[in-house]
Amino acid sequence: MAIIEVVNVEKIYNDSEVKVSALKGINLQFNQGEFTTIVGPSGSGKTTLLNLLGGLDKPSAGRICVDGVWIDTLSGSKLIDFRLHHIGFVFQAYNLIPVLTASENVELIMQLQGVPSGIRRKVARDLLDQVGLADRYDSRPSQLSGGQQQRVAVARALASKPKFILADEPTANLDGKSAENLLEIMEHLNHEHDVTFIFSTHDQRVVSKAHRIVLLEDGMVKSDEFRV
Amino acid sequence: MILSLSWRNIWRNKTRSLIVVATLAVGLLGGVMFMGLINGWVEQRMHDSIHNEIAHIQIHNPQYLLNEETQHYISDYPSIITALDTMKSVIGYTGRIKVFAMAQSDRATSGIVVMGINPTEEATVSEISTKLVAGEFLENNHRVPSIVVGSTTAESLKLINYNITSEKLDSIDESKIPVEVKDSLKLLIGQRFRSKTTFQKELKSILADNYDSHVDYILKCFAEYRLNSSVILTLQTPEGELHNQMFKVRGVYKTTNSAFDGRFAYVERGILASTAGLQENQVHEVAVLCTGLDEGKTAAASLAPNFKFLSVRSWEQVSPEIAMYAEMGNFMGMIYIVIILFALAFGIVNTMMMSVLERIRELGMLMAIGMNKIRVFTMIMVESILLSLTGGIVGMAISAVILSILSKTGVDFGMWAEGFEALGYSSMVYPEITVGNYVMITVLVIITGMVASLWPARRALKLKPVEALRHE
Repeated sequence: MAIIEVVNVEKIYNDSEVKVSALKGINLQFNQGEFTTIVGPSGSGKTTLLNLLGGLDKPSAGRICVDGVWIDTLSGSKLIDFRLHHIGFVFQAYNLIPVLTASENVELIMQLQGVPSGIRRKVARDLLDQVGLADRYDSRPSQLSGGQQQRVAVARALASKPKFILADEPTANLDGKSAENLLEIMEHLNHEHDVTFIFSTHDQRVVSKAHRIVLLEDGMVKSDEFRV
Repeated sequence: MILSLSWRNIWRNKTRSLIVVATLAVGLLGGVMFMGLINGWVEQRMHDSIHNEIAHIQIHNPQYLLNEETQHYISDYPSIITALDTMKSVIGYTGRIKVFAMAQSDRATSGIVVMGINPTEEATVSEISTKLVAGEFLENNHRVPSIVVGSTTAESLKLINYNITSEKLDSIDESKIPVEVKDSLKLLIGQRFRSKTTFQKELKSILADNYDSHVDYILKCFAEYRLNSSVILTLQTPEGELHNQMFKVRGVYKTTNSAFDGRFAYVERGILASTAGLQENQVHEVAVLCTGLDEGKTAAASLAPNFKFLSVRSWEQVSPEIAMYAEMGNFMGMIYIVIILFALAFGIVNTMMMSVLERIRELGMLMAIGMNKIRVFTMIMVESILLSLTGGIVGMAISAVILSILSKTGVDFGMWAEGFEALGYSSMVYPEITVGNYVMITVLVIITGMVASLWPARRALKLKPVEALRHE
């Protein structure tokens, strides 16, 4: 059953007096357990599509259904709340809170959901264990490497028990070894815990591990390939 | 966690936050010190008013209050005493004969109000007997009866000489009169001045620039009261006849109110009664001291129905301006604090705005992962409040320490003593701040933090996550 449905979605930016059509007539479905990459050259609309899937932006035309809810009709606090409970994010620049420890960064999202403190702490530490940071609960981001910070970001994304995780160029700022480690963890989470990942990436290492590759060119789906 | 996060966010830039904290602390320190001085002044004025001048309750014949004529006395003082003796909140009471009189010394005349008192009774209500600067307060029996006058009256009757002696000059501490001033004063040793004006003129010519800062203290140090001088009081009896009686000035008092010192003189009640043609129990005023200001008002209200033909007034009714002093003093202090906080708020706004602009991407991330606008707004407001409170608490803590010292040592405004006393204020102020004052200041500090956060928080709320995440 599809957890995300994208129906005839278009996105037009009206910057200055120039209209830019970032996405044109996109139709896609994403299912539970997918490990999907969205690839394409710069300007193809990958990040725009990811922003729309995450409810961070609204389509100019078309509709998007996430977990049975048409998110294009949501706005304000309802949309923010929907993101909080249904969608996880991993950003290129990690975006951890520098004054919080690794554990606190993971707990933050659960606190926003109203999870009691005792449970938050335990869940945060379990997730950090899963991403291989059992000895770094109390480290601040400045005390962690790039790869470790990104793993904390993955744990944070998982903490809200989302339907899927959107990762925009998660390996872009990492060295080769760190990127490999991160991908292994994400693959493991996908295989063992059925976590759905949707990536926007240029990184061939990510593409090579994907089960599905959606190629965008000039704002349109050029190909949608499932791998066995 | 928003509280913890907000607190940690403040200290991301320690230098910047410490500057704001220090600014708030110093500003509030000044404001609290000013408020303490005002409170001290008001408290001292109220205390002196009650304990030297008006007491908590005054009882009169209503006719007396119209023109203060001798014939309008209270005829049943004993039943008032009986009623007062049953009241728990009453500490003491005194019956006073009060008559206008013309006082004549060997050199001058002055119109005064003579209070005929029982010194023992009076001491239960008034502290006037403790304010002597010379002589005794109606003690001992003398052939010629005694009168105690105020220092201003003594001056009006030319009962003061000014005489600088080398012994007296040497005994004065250099912290009070510096060496160079002492050396100048030596030129006047051996000279006796009968008039304050003449003495002041001489002082001005020898002290030049040092005159203003030391004249009040010099006048106080070298004043010699001509005790045992004779004074004749001329007063009107109830029948309208003028009687006079000779007294000897055997005591001079000085309060913080030079106007009071120039108006009231004290003699034995029995002596004044016989001079004025009255019986000793025919008093014009009964003054009552209670356990406190509120108790005084309550006692007056409960006493009044029992003496319907008399005027029974609480201190608030006798002297409404005293109650006004307290309220105005508090109000002025708060206004000053508000003005200081208003100015400091701009610094907080600047700091918070910089803090928000430095965290645009982070704020975008928070909104992306699910922090709603109310929470973002709350986080920024809490940061601003915590920053303000930190500065406020530091300022109040330092001021509490300084005030606890100054409330014991006092702050001496001796340079302006004459001016203060003309208004009824002491030049030595003992500042004080109440817990209520601190609570109010804390509330104002929190409000300042909240108001200062509005613009930066609004700036944060305008962010779109998609754009904020792209911010460098």
